[in-house]
Amino acid sequence: MRYGMVIDLKRCIGCYGCQLSCKAENGTPPGVFFARVLKQEEGTYPTVNMLFLPVLCNHCEEPACVDACPTGASFIWEDGTVDIDPDQCVGCRSCMMACPYGNRYINDKPQHYFAQGQTAFEQARTGRHQTEVVMKCNFCRDRVQAGQDPACVANCPTSARIFGDLDDSSSIVSRLIKERAGFTLHPEMATKPCVYYLPT
Amino acid sequence: MSDSQAKYQQMLIDLRSDFRPQRDWGEGRGLLLVVGHFFVGVAAGGWLMSLIFASSNGLLLSYLLAALGGVVHLGFLGHPERYWRMMRRVKTSWVSRGFVGITLFLVGGFLYLVPVLWPTGLWGGGSITAMLGYGMAAIGMVVMIGYMGFVYTASRAIPFWNSPLHPALYVGYALRGGVAALLVTRALEANLDQVNQLLVLWIAVTVAVTLFYVLEIHGALSSGNAAARRSVHELLAGRVSAYFYGGILLLGIILPAFLVWTGMSGPLTLGAMALLGVASAGGDFFMKYATIRAGVHLPLLTRAGAR
Repeated sequence: MRYGMVIDLKRCIGCYGCQLSCKAENGTPPGVFFARVLKQEEGTYPTVNMLFLPVLCNHCEEPACVDACPTGASFIWEDGTVDIDPDQCVGCRSCMMACPYGNRYINDKPQHYFAQGQTAFEQARTGRHQTEVVMKCNFCRDRVQAGQDPACVANCPTSARIFGDLDDSSSIVSRLIKERAGFTLHPEMATKPCVYYLPT
Repeated sequence: MSDSQAKYQQMLIDLRSDFRPQRDWGEGRGLLLVVGHFFVGVAAGGWLMSLIFASSNGLLLSYLLAALGGVVHLGFLGHPERYWRMMRRVKTSWVSRGFVGITLFLVGGFLYLVPVLWPTGLWGGGSITAMLGYGMAAIGMVVMIGYMGFVYTASRAIPFWNSPLHPALYVGYALRGGVAALLVTRALEANLDQVNQLLVLWIAVTVAVTLFYVLEIHGALSSGNAAARRSVHELLAGRVSAYFYGGILLLGIILPAFLVWTGMSGPLTLGAMALLGVASAGGDFFMKYATIRAGVHLPLLTRAGAR
């Protein structure tokens, strides 16, 4: 069992639904993005194209962040998900410097989105996160254990995100990677990411 | 705009840019990490030089700097009360190895220093306790001299730091800091013994670190990726260039080199000797600060398209 995700760049319309649903599900504070969408224009007029690249923790098989962590706070679950135990994190940020994908964030102080202070939602969802520790995506572990897809997958309006078991050769994710030449970001880093992209 | 909002807005700007500047180490409380690395480097080099040149005051100064460096490191951590957990990943983490090294040094250094500074104290200089302390401090010193460069080299997110020369550069700077610490100690002691040897050593180490730094910059420009080249641009002509020219070159090399030249061609005053040590150490600090601040994250998407 090794959880992974496939993101079909042909289907992605850059709606930021994944980013918003992730924030709603995980209650991440300002400055912390478990899921992001990078945007870029390509080409020159009149043949221009907008490229969207949704990014998240790559849950690498050989994660540089886990090796760099001095306390063991960063670890790998038996299903391949890379996670952080906030009770063990000392906030040294060495994992953030080790992650070639820049998908780890420090929650350095209690924060809120609006000048009036924390909303009831923020008190309930954002307030549960420890401060002065590093945070990252864990493939919505609670949802996955309850038999649901991660929030970004469940809320993608174009079904551009597919979640599944990479070790199962008959799973949809494995088939898509094989049939449509799925690629990973920065393969030269030799971290063996478990998030694959299908070309446009 | 509150501090929190300003930080958030800055982060949004950074995330939209092609080359996101590294701000976690070196800005805000991250400055404590640079200060901690500086103190620890000078302390380890100073301990080695003090052993070679038989300076008990140098040993004491080095020990105090290492203790200060350890405290400053703790100040950088988000949860310093959990510091003891940092011993748990020695097999893979250079931060963990460094923590073990500093701990060994502080414990061993104490055991060794007590009879050096207080010969009629609880245990003698030739006792097993003192010898054990000497050994522990020596191991800790070697780790402290070496680990910092490897911490940066292992940081794959920042290509500029990934150079294989980085550990050698940090070793060189630790030795240079050690010579500087000993020069200041000798000036405070009003002791001019072996000054010429120290000046020659300073020249040799300075030539070595300058060569390493030039080679590292050349390597980043010639065979590094776009992020490494951007870091060099930041260092030489960008947002940290003032620290490079003013701190590393002027304060750290040109001013001390002039003082060394006056010392080699005539008598060196105690004030000039102290200034030489302080300026050289100041240059070392700016080298660490500028190199950290020049770091930019490896981009996922650039104007050239997805990589």
